[in-house]
Amino acid sequence: MAITSTVSSDGKDVTIQVSGRFDFSTHQDFMRAYKEHEKGENRFIVDLSEAEYMDSSAMGMLLQLREYSNKQSGCVTLRGGSGAIQEILRIANFGKIFTIE
Amino acid sequence: MSLAARDLIKTNNNHRGTALVADDELSNRIILKSLLKKNGYEVIQAVDGADAVHKFSEKPTDMVFMDVMMPIMDGYESARKIKEISGEHFIPIIFLTAMTDEDALAHCIEVGGDDFLTKPLNHTLLRAKILAMERIRDLHRDLYQLYGRMQRDEEIAEQVFSNAVLAGNVAFEHIHSLSRPADIFSGDILLTSFSPSNDLNVLMGDFTGHGLAAALGALPVSEVFRSMSTKGFSPARILSAINEKLANMLPTGMFLAAQYVTISHDLDHITICNCGMPDLLILDGDNNSIKHRVISSALPLGIDSNLAFHDNVKVYFIKPGDRILLATDGVSEARNINGELFGQARIDEIVKTQNSDSFVLDTITKQLEEFCGNAPQDDDITAAEIPCISALFPKKELTRSASETPHTAEHVHSSNIGDDVDFNLTLRHGRLRDANPIPLLISYIQETAGLDEHRATLFTLLTELYVNALDHGVLGLSSDIKETSDGFTHYLQEREHLLSVLNEGSITIGLRIEPNKTGGKIIICVEDSGAGFDYKKERACTSNTALCGRGLMLIEELCESLEHNEKGNKVVAVYSWSN
Repeated sequence: MAITSTVSSDGKDVTIQVSGRFDFSTHQDFMRAYKEHEKGENRFIVDLSEAEYMDSSAMGMLLQLREYSNKQSGCVTLRGGSGAIQEILRIANFGKIFTIE
Repeated sequence: MSLAARDLIKTNNNHRGTALVADDELSNRIILKSLLKKNGYEVIQAVDGADAVHKFSEKPTDMVFMDVMMPIMDGYESARKIKEISGEHFIPIIFLTAMTDEDALAHCIEVGGDDFLTKPLNHTLLRAKILAMERIRDLHRDLYQLYGRMQRDEEIAEQVFSNAVLAGNVAFEHIHSLSRPADIFSGDILLTSFSPSNDLNVLMGDFTGHGLAAALGALPVSEVFRSMSTKGFSPARILSAINEKLANMLPTGMFLAAQYVTISHDLDHITICNCGMPDLLILDGDNNSIKHRVISSALPLGIDSNLAFHDNVKVYFIKPGDRILLATDGVSEARNINGELFGQARIDEIVKTQNSDSFVLDTITKQLEEFCGNAPQDDDITAAEIPCISALFPKKELTRSASETPHTAEHVHSSNIGDDVDFNLTLRHGRLRDANPIPLLISYIQETAGLDEHRATLFTLLTELYVNALDHGVLGLSSDIKETSDGFTHYLQEREHLLSVLNEGSITIGLRIEPNKTGGKIIICVEDSGAGFDYKKERACTSNTALCGRGLMLIEELCESLEHNEKGNKVVAVYSWSN
């Protein structure tokens, strides 16, 4: 499956791993992956290191996740990602509303 | 037709429709006819395949029963022709056959038949098949109607979209543009509008996704863009307003990436803000080299409603002949048949090798076409190249005040104006730092007196008066600074510094509009808290080449009268018009 999620041992960090194409086709899976976890409580980390590609609807999904968590800057972390994905995040200036590692 | 009405007709066994029965055996026809009549069908008979086609084309029936082996034209051929005649309407054809050969039965379906019945006919089975066919026919009819409605809706929406979004564009005869939507609707927009001082505002945007859902957001964006642009708001203010509107309106996850450009009417500078879009290029008109590359510095619009765009708006100096190249990511991310991207590097390469007397975009368009070939298009593609030339701007002479007030009203003295103006606006302290009251004043004048054709002049007049009061009055700047060669830059720096630390002072603007039968006049009174400035010296400075006094000269030229108080911190300008 393209989207998997794991929870850290203290139960606070939820890591969502995206592999393959991160676009509209993964919408349902991505939403299910974070909605399993309580709203606002957790620190979400989206691991993009295995993602091949992301489009603007994937960016929309990240914004939905940001709304689901408590919207404070830094509570959603984006980790890794190819050069092309980093470029897309830079163009959209997502560094201003997400923590990018 | 409502479902209830349809059920009513179904239960009424007398009028379920007409059936065509094609069989060369009279006895078969009679048996089937009586069975069909019991099920509420009127029956038309045909003696062979050709007769069936003929009768059907004269009067199409709701259902067809077709024997296979018939003289002149067999059932297969006849069925094919009838399906051809019925076109998009679903007319069920049921083959009647004594054959049990599976291939022959399969052939019935291949030629367009919908089902088959074996002879001798079983009444219960016939009844069941009729019901099944009616069900499919109803579904088909619903689908057909829904499809028709969808098409009609899309056509209407397309029309509204073009009228509201595209028809208001200006200066398009000089702008080269490329627009290739991935769907009927494009989620990309290209909007242009003039400000009251004739600066050209351009917004190129890209909504998340494409198609109708993406295009919906274009309506409010174009409304806000046009109305604020014609009132003279700054790029940062217009972007904030669009951002706020979209943030409140769009669902989370949908947003607008945008490139915003204002080209000054004197082709001196351009103001740019890149919000989540690919690089915007400013090309040197002499050799097409890339003079400036403006990378994205702000979030796309519609994500965070409290965003300020002030710090993301940048000013670049240009000269006539320079060009601006805008594009959505549909261009750089277009894919060829092997899935490779067109890429920004390819665009840069085209710019580098292009000679300067032709448009870069034309070459990009051509190469993009060759590159993509028949590969499916994933996203909307939009790009534009704007040459910075004077022909972009309308050749509108500023209107002048009518030489004397029509309808001899008594002359108004500056001393008695402050008390009884109709509209009074005072800006204090920190508000002076970032407020621009001119659009508000203009829209007040327009709502009160109309005066569309005077708008550009009044805008200039009010702006000059306000800027004088702020610069020379509240900030106490002397225009002497401007006289040295790099004095103007120095002046602007000093101004910016003083504004940033400003925390006292005020400017009051009063407007009095006096319409009469033949025209009317507007009395503008601007008073500042400053120590006053030497307007006599400033006004004496009449040489065109002098760097000082241009503002006052312009004001005097445009209005009927201009009076300063002795101290020099209050000015009254009268502008008259005749109908």
